Amino acid sequence: MNRRAFLGWGAAGFVALCSGVAVSLAAVVRYLVPSVFYEPPQSFKIGDPADFPFGPPTFLPDEKIFVFRDREKGFAVASAVCTHLGCTVAYFQSDQRFHCPCHGSVFGPNGTVQHGPAPRALNWFEITQARDGQLLVDKDKVVPPSYRLMV
Amino acid sequence: MNLIREIWQSIVRRDPLSTDKGKSELVFLNVWLHIHPAKVKKENLRFKYTFYLGFITFFLFVILLTTGIALMCYYRPFPPQAYQDMKDLEFVVYMGPFLRAMHRWAAHGMVVCVFLHMCRVFYTASYKKPRQFNWVVGVLLLLLTLGLSFTGYLLPWDQLAYWAITVGTNIGSYAPIIGGQVREILLGGHTVGEAALLRFYVLHVAILPSALILLTIVHFWRIRKDGGLSRPTWKLKPNQPEALVTIGAPAQVEPLRTVAASKDKTYGLMEVVTGKPIFETIEADEEEDAVFSYPYAFFREAIALMVTVTGIMAISLFFHAPLEQLANPAKTPNPAKAPWYFLGLQELVSHSALLGGVVAPALMVLALLAIPYFDRNPSRRPTDRKWAIWLFTIFVVVNLVLIVIGTFFRGPGWAFVPPWVHVVAGAE
Repeated sequence: MNRRAFLGWGAAGFVALCSGVAVSLAAVVRYLVPSVFYEPPQSFKIGDPADFPFGPPTFLPDEKIFVFRDREKGFAVASAVCTHLGCTVAYFQSDQRFHCPCHGSVFGPNGTVQHGPAPRALNWFEITQARDGQLLVDKDKVVPPSYRLMV
Repeated sequence: MNLIREIWQSIVRRDPLSTDKGKSELVFLNVWLHIHPAKVKKENLRFKYTFYLGFITFFLFVILLTTGIALMCYYRPFPPQAYQDMKDLEFVVYMGPFLRAMHRWAAHGMVVCVFLHMCRVFYTASYKKPRQFNWVVGVLLLLLTLGLSFTGYLLPWDQLAYWAITVGTNIGSYAPIIGGQVREILLGGHTVGEAALLRFYVLHVAILPSALILLTIVHFWRIRKDGGLSRPTWKLKPNQPEALVTIGAPAQVEPLRTVAASKDKTYGLMEVVTGKPIFETIEADEEEDAVFSYPYAFFREAIALMVTVTGIMAISLFFHAPLEQLANPAKTPNPAKAPWYFLGLQELVSHSALLGGVVAPALMVLALLAIPYFDRNPSRRPTDRKWAIWLFTIFVVVNLVLIVIGTFFRGPGWAFVPPWVHVVAGAE
């Protein structure tokens, strides 16, 4: 083996070694990302329209959503997860605003930030009526606050 | 009798401790003790210089290892059993509350002592050449200590744990580009749930302790290799004119070089290579100030160990580790607070999540890591380093003030509430 061949094979071997290490590291990182999430589905039924009263919103603790029902405008669903650090906000009927207990963020009636460190408005989710008549919420579909479902 | 003596001799293999040779052999024939030098300088042992904070931190870690392994026998890392196991530890398991309290207070104590140790090393300028890298290792150990505390905080799976970790991991997700993915890998999901508890458990009992032990070994080794325990070199009396030694084989006509004789020991390389040792070189005559590690150093270490252990035990007798209600993802306590050592961070985050939660802490860690390379002033005398001392003191005070505000002055909705004002929970 001459010098040129030795250096060529050596360089090729070094590149192969580095690639092997890089691929192994990528595989380790990929291993840590779960392939299946055993978490509640993002799209779910919340019950019959008649279950929800007019007036103050209904808070569903497991889904972390507020279900608003208005006589003229219909249904709307707001996220109860603060956009700052993920605490669960509370809705105060007295001032019709959302208050976050963690860092004092306050969101207006349509979810916009009025006070505090929250970077974005609260999300509103799509709500539709399933074939069996139940209300269907999809948290993967964010809609503008003006979105309403008339039943 | 002869057989017993023979067995004992086969174990210790040293001369009697009444002899100097025996005292030296006790150290360097023993795998656990030979991290010590056989003799130490008297100033190394002065309590008022180091406050033994490094030792105390290490002893607290030993307490954490032993109590932690004991607690593992009664803990299952998945909800809601994790919380039931906490209840068992509190009410059923023999000595359970005591062990839990010891683990909790030793953990808080370790965070405090690591921080105080860092302050001591800074104020005595012990991070300066040749100890720069050991300061870096120390900063990494501080981060690992915080990581261990944070992952341990989730394990009881009560309201306190659940929301502290929700807030804490959401702070991380503000990191640009990778923040979201890092959080997903850390939690094994999108919210704090079963997967997160299992991963935090693995980090807390396997990955982070192993890393901490490995780095601690490096930290201790480098203390020895960098010239032993730190001491106030600027207070030592000045040296006599330097003695010179000639380097070169006797057969050679011309000597290779003439250099100043070093007072430091080079432990084995002295016959092989020339040049100055990498150890801290002291301009003082101090041979007669050295004492044997046995009993002088070991006695003081044993006292520090006993004071640490009895102190933690005494605190644990009177103060129990808190345990709130079962974690409830639907109900955020008001206010929801991170562990106290992250409350300064949470206070910053309450003003701006990106600046306070990512930029400021990242800059703080980078600044700490850079200190030994950025500070070019060779002097260790406090009067020569007023600027450094002022800057570091401001850093410490700002951190403490933020933590105090976050801990005592923040009430429901993160409103500013002084601790002497009583707020009725739920009254809004």
